[in-house]
Amino acid sequence: MKYKYIDIENKLLIELNEEIDIDTCTTLRSVVDGYILKYNPRECELDMEKVNFMDSSGIGFIAGRYNLAKMLGCDLVIKKPNASIRKLLEMSSISKNIKVV
Amino acid sequence: MNNKIELIVNGILENVSVVRVCIAAFLAKQNITIDELSDIKTAVSEAVTNSIEHGYVETKGNVNVIAKIANVDNMVFLVVEVKDNGIGIQDVGLATTPAYTSKPELEHAGMGFTIMETFMDEVVIDSTIGQGTKITMTKRLRTVKE
Repeated sequence: MKYKYIDIENKLLIELNEEIDIDTCTTLRSVVDGYILKYNPRECELDMEKVNFMDSSGIGFIAGRYNLAKMLGCDLVIKKPNASIRKLLEMSSISKNIKVV
Repeated sequence: MNNKIELIVNGILENVSVVRVCIAAFLAKQNITIDELSDIKTAVSEAVTNSIEHGYVETKGNVNVIAKIANVDNMVFLVVEVKDNGIGIQDVGLATTPAYTSKPELEHAGMGFTIMETFMDEVVIDSTIGQGTKITMTKRLRTVKE
């Protein structure tokens, strides 16, 4: 995972590059929450281009970050998920609330 | 050609990815698409996650995974069996309800069984309270050309 905060746009960019399952999402959850709370951005972008696997634990992970972001008035954006991840997002109800680009 | 692997892994979370990688390697010589492989890996990941996360709550144990390629009536099937000796499922109907999770505080999506049922052709749940759960998932891979 890599991150970048763009001060001028008050935007947090998080680039995920690991497989997201129940094992990895525990760490990801605390790290991503840490950055969201630290910067309190207007927008948080989760770049998933380099994520080649995600299961339902990842849905829970994204839903949890969405809830935190929403509480803080921050928009969560999921960027470039692959076809399989997109399919999972569409199966769950979170795709109705979260912007996927 | 028929083929089979059997994996016995400790029921710890880091082994979810170990099983996934082994299944992918097992399927490497099968003529399947990346999408199919991805679906299978996701379904297996869900089943193994369930065994570890919900089966072994207070006790520890192994997860036994058997994957078979079987040729039946000119069709090639993949059968994956995921078995634990955990607590078993109290209410299978409830457990398989989309978006139901017994652990909402842990941010689980409650989609494990929905994903298994969507991504595989058949999912059979055989669970006995106090003895464990066996999930048998079948997917038709292709028709053998004459």
